[in-house]
Amino acid sequence: MDQLKEVLESGLARMNGAESVEALEAVRVEVLGRKGVLAEAGKSMGKLAPEERASAGKLLNAAKQQLESAYEAKKSAFQSAALQSRLDAEWLDLTAPASGITPGALHPITQIQTEIEELFVSMGFTVLDGPEVETEFHNFDALNIPSTHPARDMQDTFWLEGGNLLRTHTSPVQIRGMKSLPLPLRMIAPGRVFRNEEVDASHEHTFYQLEGMMIDRNVSIANLIYFMKTLLAKIFKRDDVTVRLRPGYFPFVEPGFELDIQCMVCGGPGCAVCKHSGWVELLPCGLVHPNVLKFGGINSDEWGGFAFGLGLTRLVMMRYAIDDIRWINSGDLRFLNQF
Amino acid sequence: MKFSYHWLAELVPGLSADAKAVGAEITMKTAECDGVDAHGEDFIIEIDNKSLTHRPDLWGHFGMAREVASHFRKELKDPVDLSLLPEGESKVTIKIENFDLCPRFSAVYFENVKVAPSPQWLQQRLEAVGINPINNIVDITNYAMALLPQPMHAFDADKVKDHTLIARAARDGETCTALNDESYELDPSMIVVAGVDGPLAIAGVMGGASSMIDDTTSRVIFEAANWHPASIRKTSVKLGLRTDASARFEKALDPENTVRGIALAIQLMKECCPDAKLVGGMTDVYRPLITPDAIEVDLVWLQRKLGREIEQKEVVSILTSIGFGVVESDEKLKVSIPSWRATKDVSVKDDLVEEVGRMIGYASITPQPPMMAVNPPVINTVRRFHNGIRRMLADNGYTEVQNYSFVSDAEANLFEMDPASHVRVLNPIAENQALLRTSLIPGIYGNIEENRKHFDGFRLFEIGNEIHKQPEGLPQEVAHLAVAYFAKDDGIAGLNELKRIVVSLLDEAEFVPASDARVYEHPARVVNIRWQEKEVGRLFEFHPSFVEQGRAAVIDLNLTSIQQLQEAHPTAKYVPVNRFPSSSFDLAVIVPARALVSDLSRAIEGLGHKPEFIEDYRMPDGRRSLLFRMTLSREDRTLAGEEVTAERTRLIEGLRALGHELRA
Repeated sequence: MDQLKEVLESGLARMNGAESVEALEAVRVEVLGRKGVLAEAGKSMGKLAPEERASAGKLLNAAKQQLESAYEAKKSAFQSAALQSRLDAEWLDLTAPASGITPGALHPITQIQTEIEELFVSMGFTVLDGPEVETEFHNFDALNIPSTHPARDMQDTFWLEGGNLLRTHTSPVQIRGMKSLPLPLRMIAPGRVFRNEEVDASHEHTFYQLEGMMIDRNVSIANLIYFMKTLLAKIFKRDDVTVRLRPGYFPFVEPGFELDIQCMVCGGPGCAVCKHSGWVELLPCGLVHPNVLKFGGINSDEWGGFAFGLGLTRLVMMRYAIDDIRWINSGDLRFLNQF
Repeated sequence: MKFSYHWLAELVPGLSADAKAVGAEITMKTAECDGVDAHGEDFIIEIDNKSLTHRPDLWGHFGMAREVASHFRKELKDPVDLSLLPEGESKVTIKIENFDLCPRFSAVYFENVKVAPSPQWLQQRLEAVGINPINNIVDITNYAMALLPQPMHAFDADKVKDHTLIARAARDGETCTALNDESYELDPSMIVVAGVDGPLAIAGVMGGASSMIDDTTSRVIFEAANWHPASIRKTSVKLGLRTDASARFEKALDPENTVRGIALAIQLMKECCPDAKLVGGMTDVYRPLITPDAIEVDLVWLQRKLGREIEQKEVVSILTSIGFGVVESDEKLKVSIPSWRATKDVSVKDDLVEEVGRMIGYASITPQPPMMAVNPPVINTVRRFHNGIRRMLADNGYTEVQNYSFVSDAEANLFEMDPASHVRVLNPIAENQALLRTSLIPGIYGNIEENRKHFDGFRLFEIGNEIHKQPEGLPQEVAHLAVAYFAKDDGIAGLNELKRIVVSLLDEAEFVPASDARVYEHPARVVNIRWQEKEVGRLFEFHPSFVEQGRAAVIDLNLTSIQQLQEAHPTAKYVPVNRFPSSSFDLAVIVPARALVSDLSRAIEGLGHKPEFIEDYRMPDGRRSLLFRMTLSREDRTLAGEEVTAERTRLIEGLRALGHELRA
């Protein structure tokens, strides 16, 4: 019996003292293995008197269980220590920027244009494209600007060989839209337009506009104001915007308006942004001139509508407070990667 | 255009509003006021000329005073007394050769004239509105222009032979030395006021030096005429000579104003040149003036356009306050147009919506949601396609640029694109913007060269139109995508990445070596991109003589063609997923240095396999070993090992029979 006690104690001591998984495994084989010391002790029990054998057997089993659980405990301690040290060793600085491709950027004009296009599509507007090179007819005559009209002086035109021109506004798409879409119609036409102007911080010969037009049976100035307010509130992400209409002259609308928006920087009292007027001139609009409807093949006694022109380049400059228009078409990634 | 507040106040005697209030009211109801500035004791109200383009009457103080009187509901005082016009036989002969060019020409004759400075009040008034005082005679003509507005001219009568003035088209080769001492060559598209022996003045633009008023002048002819607006505009543009007079005539002035100008000059002569003697009657030659038809407008229609109610009597009161005549008959108004609004401005009932709307104030209209039919919009598939590509490229690290539509002759030549094949701009701003681009590549090249100064590597793209000249009609605009990958270091990462981009845009795109490398393309690194059996673009590296440091890989794709092909492109077909496992084997084929993977792939396909290209290994002897993987499966069973081996052997033999060497 003393021998068993010794086997147990020394076995426990050796297991607890094992310094590695391998050492622990060696101890297990030596102690608990088929030819281990515990097995040897079991064999020697055969020599005992039968009455002693039963109690010795119990003791042997108890010792075996004790040793096995000591082994399991030690083994799991080794495993969790190993896992812990792996986890520890695998520390990473995840604050470091990712390697590989850095994100690109959509042009700010594309971004604002897409945003506005989505807004209009949600209101049932069709998005139309028109050519950048236009006929004199579509750019001027059909928009109620005959060749003798002084309004042609208002727009410095790039004339092309062959009698065509670079469109000075997106308005010619009004005519194309009226001829191609069924009535009632709602359309917008965003795109690139051209003016023969010297370039400086606030003037560009190439910029972007968005034309809008709605034609229905009964369209009033009251509808136009409502629509513009809704649109501008969405564009400027406000619940409401204050606007005012005042007379503005554009031959393709009658009446024609300049729409001003109350300065969003000062809210009305006047500041540098609104040149101390409290208002910022934002977009020209008006009821479609009957002559324009006629050129679009529409009977102006039955149908009427409104049209407006948004300056996309101007909106981009307002939104990001860009101080020099020349950045827009510069292709300079130091500028473009900011968006 | 500058307006003197004092002058306006003199024409609207009851005006109590201050200059600022007048400016604000003009902005909201008439035209855009750019500012109100003190000028001595007076104030100058500055109005944006562009907002007056359609209003010839507002190019003079009287017209603006009419508006102000209406805004503030005051009386307007007419400064002209037509009873001053002299009757009897005239001392001036006027001939009009073409009434289209000159609908009216009026003149009077003075003797015993003494040229002297004008009285102070007149000089100050002219100075206030930006006109330099010259002498009493010239100042009178300028006063009439700034007031009525009727530009006038005074001739030294002794320098006008037979006192005869002829309004006619200029003749080829005629010249006229104008008051600015410049000599102008005239042509038959221009109008002149001529004497019997040649041009005396460029009509509507500037008087001539030969008959100008000077200190010795003692006899004067005052003329006030009406000219064809487009002709004056064209002449002024052609001669590069814009004057206060031409700016007004080109707006289509009121022909009734010529005699008002004459009456005003007679009245002012009494004060500015008291000894002068008006001799003879007025000459006034004109073609019968056409009174436009009255516009019929019904109140219901007007209210519908405005989107608010308005009483008939208010409409009548507004229209009459600015000179319209109104005849009322139940819910219908017959509105006659005053002569000063009839030349260009008002002709249809929609014009009256503006007259009423601006005067009641647009702020008085309550916004109303429009009634709209529920029509789903037509989807713009071109934009959707382009925007999808934009998004994909941005997600892959590419930044969008937008370049100008212009190129220069020098650029076109540099890229060996024939300048004559481009649409040419007739009036370019600068030499380098004389042609419309037929390719996005020159712009992209500019982007690479500029950004190279700031970055070691970058990715960018543009979607824009190429503009191709056509024998007639509009040029053809073709949407293209250009993508560029620049890296300072030497490598083929850019070409590889762009190939991946092409394939993710166009599944199963083929790259076919191009033997026609363009001057800017690296001749050994250029392929055509084929899709759906059509050439749709190009992948290349910039020639080292273009991009001297670093390497720039570029894709140029014709998006218009691709989209057309896409519409015809069959949709994907579903094949049931094979439930039996597949087996695969690899084969390495040894090929000469410049063999093409695509040729080998096609050869293997010809032998009934779908190879997957794995690796391109350059052997020490310079040849290459191309590794392909073949995958086999059957729909009804698992392939046995022997079957795979047999297939492999068959393929090897097939390739050998085609003359290919296989790596052991």
